[in-house]
Amino acid sequence: MSATVHVSAPGTHWTVPDPRELALRIRLRAVRMVAPQGFGYLGQALSSAEQVAAVFAAARPGVDRLVCSPGHYVIGPFAAAAELGLLDDEAVTGYGQNGSPVEAIGTERSPVMDYTCGSLGQGLSAALGFALSDRLRGSDARIFTMVSDGELEEGQVWEAALFAAHHRLGRLVVLLDANNSQVDGPVDSITTLEPIAAKWSAFGWHAQDLDGHDMDALSSALAAASADTGRPSVLVCRTSTVHGLDCLPPDADGHFIKLPPELATAAEKELTGKLEALRA
Amino acid sequence: MREPPYPTEVKPYGRALVDLARRRDEVLCVSGDLTRQCEVDLFQAEIPERFIHAGMAEANMMSMAGALARCGHIPFVHTFGVFATRRPFDQIANAIAYPGLPVRIIGFMPGVSTPGGPSHQATDDVALMRALPGMTVVDVADAVEVRQVAEAVIDVPGPVYVRLKRGEIPVIFDEGHVLRLGQAEVLVPGDDVALFASGMMLAAALAAARALVDHAVSVSVINVPTIKPLDTATVRDAAAGARVAVTAENHTIIGGLGSAVAETIAEAGLGRPLRRVGLRDTFAEGSLTAPYLFDKYGLSTRTLIETIWSVLGRPGPAPDAPAAPAETGEYSPV
Repeated sequence: MSATVHVSAPGTHWTVPDPRELALRIRLRAVRMVAPQGFGYLGQALSSAEQVAAVFAAARPGVDRLVCSPGHYVIGPFAAAAELGLLDDEAVTGYGQNGSPVEAIGTERSPVMDYTCGSLGQGLSAALGFALSDRLRGSDARIFTMVSDGELEEGQVWEAALFAAHHRLGRLVVLLDANNSQVDGPVDSITTLEPIAAKWSAFGWHAQDLDGHDMDALSSALAAASADTGRPSVLVCRTSTVHGLDCLPPDADGHFIKLPPELATAAEKELTGKLEALRA
Repeated sequence: MREPPYPTEVKPYGRALVDLARRRDEVLCVSGDLTRQCEVDLFQAEIPERFIHAGMAEANMMSMAGALARCGHIPFVHTFGVFATRRPFDQIANAIAYPGLPVRIIGFMPGVSTPGGPSHQATDDVALMRALPGMTVVDVADAVEVRQVAEAVIDVPGPVYVRLKRGEIPVIFDEGHVLRLGQAEVLVPGDDVALFASGMMLAAALAAARALVDHAVSVSVINVPTIKPLDTATVRDAAAGARVAVTAENHTIIGGLGSAVAETIAEAGLGRPLRRVGLRDTFAEGSLTAPYLFDKYGLSTRTLIETIWSVLGRPGPAPDAPAAPAETGEYSPV
C-alpha cells in the first residue's frame, strides 16, 4: 500500500470494530515504533490514543478529513493506520529513521493525515481552509482536527477560533488534547489556560469538557459534536502523557519519553497482557 | 588552534549569560518554552527575578521585548532559531528592527543540526535576519567564541541575531582566542583557495584545508563569525589573494554567508570564481541523526574537498575526506 494515502482519499477503507481495543493497539504499536531509538514522542501517543481511536471509529473512510496540528503527535495516527492496514509494516518500521518518509515530526510528505505541521499552532487554520473548500464544493465531509493544549499559547489558534465561529464552520470538530504538558513542564506552570472550555464557548463554539481516556464519553461527545452542524465543536479531552502504561517511571518527561530496552520489554509485556485480557 | 577531534563543552552560553547579567543589571532573559534547550535554565535558577517566561508565543514575545528595550533593558530572547525568525518576522521588523532597539535574539539549533525536519530546521534564519535594516547577524559554533558572544553583542546599539549550536559545543580555538565582533579572521594562510566558513562549518573547512595540503592545494580558511555587517576588507583581501573563493554555511546558499561574500567580491570587481556550499535551494528532512543530514545535503568535509577540486579544474577524482572518528564527548566535523 502506498505510504502517501490520506484518510480522505477516495477508495480508502478501514473498519474499527472496537475503539477500546484500537486504543490499546495504538499504545503497543507506538511502543514498538519508539523502542528502536530508545526515546521519542511516546507520551503524545499515550495521551491521545483514545482520541485517535475514536476519530478512526467515527470518520467515514475516504470522505472525512484528519488534521494533526501538533506534528509531534503523528505517531498516534501512524500507529492507528498501521493497525488498520492503511500503512504497511515496512513503512511504519521506518518511523524516525534516516531516509524514511515516515518522520517523527509531521512534514509535507507524512502519510495518513490530510494535513500536519511541525511548527505548532498552525493546523487549525488549515482545517478552516478544508472546511471552506468543502462548503464551496457542497461536501459534507467533517474535519477532525487534533490540537494540543500547549498550542493554545500561540495566538494563531485564537485567530482561527474566531474565524471558524464567525463563519459557522459546523463540520469542524477539534479534539483538544489537554494533557498539561509542554517542553518546559506543566502548561499551567507557564501559562494559565483555564477555563479552556469556557473560552471556546465564549468564542461561539460547541464545547465539551471530558475525560479523554474514557472511550464511552469520547464516543458520545464526538456524536454530539458531529450532530451540531450549526457551529464548530471542540472536545476538551483531559488526559495524561503516561496514561495506560503503568511501567513508566513517575517522573517520565511526557514530551520526549526515554524508553531503554528493558523498559521497552516491560511495556511490550504489559500492553500485550492488557490486549489479551481485553480479547478474552 | 586545536587539532581534531575537538573536546566539547556544554552550556558555555548559558553560563556566560549569567556571569554577564551579574555585572549588567540591564540584562533580562526571555524564554519561549525551550528553556533548558537554550541553556537558560541556569539563568532561571540563579537570577529568577530577571527571567521572563513568555511561553510558546513568539509574536507576543518579540513585541514585548521591543518595549522592554525601549524602557532601557537589554532583553536576550531565547528559542530555537527557526521559531525566533520565521514566525515573528513581522514583529521583529516593526517592534525591534525599525526602531533600532537593542534586543538580542538568540536562536539555537542552526540549519540541519537537528534531525527534527523542516519545521524545526533554521535553514533561512540568517537570510531573514540579514535582510532587516540595522540587524547584526552572528554565527559562532566554537565554545571559546560562544562564551564571549553575549559580552561581545551587549553594547551593539541596534538589534542582534545570534545563532548558536545546541548541546555539545566543540572547542576549536585556544583559550586565549578573542572573538572580535564585526571581524573576519584568516586562520590558515593559502593562495589557491579562499575558503570562508561560519558557525558549524568551520570545523569541516579546517579539515578540508588540512586534507588538501597533501595534494598540493593551498587553502586559506577564513572564519566569519559576523555575517552582518560583513568584514568586507578582510573578505576582499582574502579573495584577492587566492585564485578561487568557496563559502561554507549550515544554511541555504541564498541570502546567507555565500551571498554576502559574493556581493563583496562582485562589488570589488575581483572576478574570482565562487562556489557556495550549503543547502541548495531545498528544505531538508526529518531523520534519526544530524550527521546523516550534513552528509546527504552536502554540508560535509567531503563536499568541500570535491567542490574545491572541481573549481580548481584538478584532473581525476577528488581526494578522500579524512575519517574523523570521535569518542563520546568529542566533536568531529562531518
